[in-house]
Amino acid sequence: MIDVRELKKDYVEEEEIPTRALRGVTFSINKGEFVSIMGPSGSGKSTLLHILSFLDRPTEGSYKFQGKSIDEMTDQELAHVRNKDMGFVFQSFNLLSRLTVYDNVEIPLLYSDISPLKRRECIENAVKSVGLPEKLYTEAGKLSGGQKQRIAIARALVIDPNVIFADEPTGNLDSESGLQVMKILESLHDKGRTIILVTHETQTAEFANRVIKIKDGMIESDKTINTNRYYNGNLK
Amino acid sequence: MTFRDAFKTATRSLTQGKMRSTLTVLGIVIGIASVITLMSLGASAQKYILDQVQSFGTDLISINPGAPTKGPPAAVQGIIIKTLNERDVHSLENEPSILNVAARVSGQAIISNGDTNRSVIWHAFSPVGFTMFNMSLSGGTVFTEAGGEAYRKVVILGSQVAEDLFGDVNPVGKNVRLKDLTFRVVGVFAPKGVGILSFDDYVVLPLSVGQKQMLGIDYYHEMNVQIDPRYDTEFVKSRISSVLRQNHHITDPDKDDFMITSMEEALSIVESITSALTLFLSAIAAISLVVGGIGIMNIMLVAVTERTREIGLRKAVGATDKDILKQFLIESVLLTLIGGIIGVAIGAGVVGLIYFVLSTFFSIGWVFAFPISSVILGLAVSGIAGIVFGIYPARQAARKNPIDALRYE
Repeated sequence: MIDVRELKKDYVEEEEIPTRALRGVTFSINKGEFVSIMGPSGSGKSTLLHILSFLDRPTEGSYKFQGKSIDEMTDQELAHVRNKDMGFVFQSFNLLSRLTVYDNVEIPLLYSDISPLKRRECIENAVKSVGLPEKLYTEAGKLSGGQKQRIAIARALVIDPNVIFADEPTGNLDSESGLQVMKILESLHDKGRTIILVTHETQTAEFANRVIKIKDGMIESDKTINTNRYYNGNLK
Repeated sequence: MTFRDAFKTATRSLTQGKMRSTLTVLGIVIGIASVITLMSLGASAQKYILDQVQSFGTDLISINPGAPTKGPPAAVQGIIIKTLNERDVHSLENEPSILNVAARVSGQAIISNGDTNRSVIWHAFSPVGFTMFNMSLSGGTVFTEAGGEAYRKVVILGSQVAEDLFGDVNPVGKNVRLKDLTFRVVGVFAPKGVGILSFDDYVVLPLSVGQKQMLGIDYYHEMNVQIDPRYDTEFVKSRISSVLRQNHHITDPDKDDFMITSMEEALSIVESITSALTLFLSAIAAISLVVGGIGIMNIMLVAVTERTREIGLRKAVGATDKDILKQFLIESVLLTLIGGIIGVAIGAGVVGLIYFVLSTFFSIGWVFAFPISSVILGLAVSGIAGIVFGIYPARQAARKNPIDALRYE
């Protein structure tokens, strides 16, 4: 599903020496995998996630998503793939606080070719799958942190994507809410979805069945692990 | 993103900040209301003036002394030209294409009734002028050739002059003094209210009295000719020219000492002057529209900055640059269109109020003119203002990098 070869990324500020965030990264991710990308701050893990999720382009190297190279795609095509095949969960939720849960979850559908008649069903199913059907018409700003992240997951699911990218999804949550969110992601993986998670928390990373560790823009390790799913009920 | 979805999203964004949206459209409301009001008032004023001029009759041709110029007539410039005389009147009366000829002289004097006096403009013309100019009386009679009054010191007062000198008393049969001469009042003109051709503040005397006794001259200030409707105006004008050239011994048409203006030409001049004035005033009002538009641009730029994370999110989940551009452009066009609709409504209200005040309290026969073209123009201009002033903020929004936008604090 995902195949990267010698991926490099430079950030060039005006009249300054380029900063190399990725220094030649190579790996593949198969459909249905749950992969954690770990690393300390500044290691390049977020840069890698941005490239994998089509929000940014690499400076060098190749990246093929579902067999098609990113170099062959226009910005418009990238936006189309992001909408159709990718779901996003952010650390800071990125919900529009004055809109209802329904309106927030609807956002990806606005840019899809799903008919307005089918949207309601998609939204209700997505919100139901994260266990918050009663909050459908609640303003997003009035939800707790954990509820917000669950709604953000519903927004990522609503389009039925092949892969979900989660950038530090438990970073702004208490341990109980974090555990709930991770259980939802795990159940999505169990249903066959590919999950790619960026985190610096070891226990969160261990929900995945594969952990890629990044350091100074390079892969330090890439290991398949036996998941220790419940951590005795605690994440931290 | 479909237009319907973009419209729904834009509406939702605008309703989230109702107070801000209201204040933002205020500039457009004022601008459109000003333009609409001035355009409508201009159209009303034009129709009012044209109606008044037309009430004098469209079959009239006026002849003024002095060479045709592009500037004001000689009389207006204080130049005395003595070329129009009795012989010209008789010659024109013999033309088959001309029904009537009325010569006129005018002046200004103090008119008094005992100790009550005021300044007044007087006009003196032959009795045929009353029918030519469609003049009607509220009391008394006009002077006629038959009664010999056309050669006596008689006067017809404008309604305002009569009221100023006599109050509620009927002035017909009473005497007034005009430039140390005693005149007998034989009639009072019907009031016409405020207007450029109202005789309310004038008095009218017989031509010979005005010419000989008031001014002591043997020429005329103006001649008016009523044409036979069977003849073409241009033909009659050419006949008048040849008669006057013959009488004045003019062989070169470039050296004419008279000017001929048909009522149609006068109407066209009035129309072009009022149109130019309306356009000029509307252009001044349009400045407020530009100020309103800049206000919209300013608020939209602020909105783009405030909603940077939202833009980032929308792009992350599949919005293209075009989708974001569409959304913000629809927001600004919606704002200006709402402003335009409110502005048109307020403009219509102001025009209606002015009509009510002028016709009720000032007895002016004002015409309510609210041309549909001004409504269409108002809405079109507001829509275009939305695009013009919204395109820059919308492009700023569309160009945002999704990663930077998502990280924006």
